[in-house]
Amino acid sequence: MRRLPIGRDGMYVIDTGSWRQFRPVVRQADCTRCGICLMYCPVNAVRMSDGEVSFDLTYCKGCGICKIECPKKAIDWVEEGC
Amino acid sequence: MTVVEFLAQAEDLVSPGLSACQGCAAELALRTAMKVIGPKSVVGIPPGCVAGFGAPGWGLKTGMKVPVCMPLLGNSASLMSGIKQAYAAKDPEVRVVAFAGDGATVDAGFQCLSAAAERRENIIYICYDNEGYMNTGFQKSGTTPHGAHMSTTPSGSCSQGNAAFKKDLPLMLAMQDAAYVATLSVSHIPDFVDKLKKACEVTDGLSYLHILSPCPTGWGTTPELSIEYARKAVETLYFPLYEYSRGTFTISKPTLRAAAKAKPVSEFLAGQRRFRHLCEADALALQEHVDRKWGILSRLAG
Repeated sequence: MRRLPIGRDGMYVIDTGSWRQFRPVVRQADCTRCGICLMYCPVNAVRMSDGEVSFDLTYCKGCGICKIECPKKAIDWVEEGC
Repeated sequence: MTVVEFLAQAEDLVSPGLSACQGCAAELALRTAMKVIGPKSVVGIPPGCVAGFGAPGWGLKTGMKVPVCMPLLGNSASLMSGIKQAYAAKDPEVRVVAFAGDGATVDAGFQCLSAAAERRENIIYICYDNEGYMNTGFQKSGTTPHGAHMSTTPSGSCSQGNAAFKKDLPLMLAMQDAAYVATLSVSHIPDFVDKLKKACEVTDGLSYLHILSPCPTGWGTTPELSIEYARKAVETLYFPLYEYSRGTFTISKPTLRAAAKAKPVSEFLAGQRRFRHLCEADALALQEHVDRKWGILSRLAG
């Protein structure tokens, strides 16, 4: 099926990754792959592949919802540029 | 397939980078709703936060991977009804969706929405309720709760914030016998996805979904607590989750669990900048309002 019409000049995409002050980092040893971070990420930046959770940092705004919602508290918060 | 598996494999139909605030629950609601509704759809997004952060696009660029248009503030339900009627002749499987804020739904768009429900137009109308006109400077809307400090109802020496109480639009549309009415919260995604699937199956009338969408910028909370506040709203019965279909009200499971041991509304109010001036009497008035609304709903659900 032809998915588009997309606008004449293409898709409107903003570099929201540059907003981020802190980035999420998963401690794989504590992660149970429950997928709660994926369910609640407003930007849809959580990926689950090969049983591992990772973040798409191109668009992650660093809101911190995944850190708060993680039932195992397995997501660390690392300051950007450090 | 579990909800997580479904959401992990479903295609995100919204542009990956949109300028919603950090922690915006409306962005989460839009992405999750579109994953369930699917690519065979047409979306209308009236002026509001979601239009402001670029989901309908900007200039000659588009913000979604499905056809999307921007109705006026007051006519989303009418415009989408017309589009649905055109598609009904061409391809009845195309889902026509309006994704409107509370200002474009309970205030400006109410007449059109009510008329569309009365005509039994087969559209999915989703309202993300962030309890105010949040992208134009936090003015009070019809769904702003009692006591909230907004830019048009400031608290001060002669005012304690909004004097009115929250308008209950889902209940109004249920009383109008719309085909499917449900309240959803971003804190309970499995229930959220389940209700959207039911809304997609309706073929004989209007589906109305009312989503409580915490707004960190307007409510004065930190971005990471958005989901937590939505959860508190459910647990305190401030925002009960239920659905209405064919004359029957059903209270949803998260609210049934919460009702068994309901927390006081003050837990939901605590920590929000818009409520920080509230005295005990105002908090009590809000608690009484919540109790009264829950009483009505639990009697309706039998």
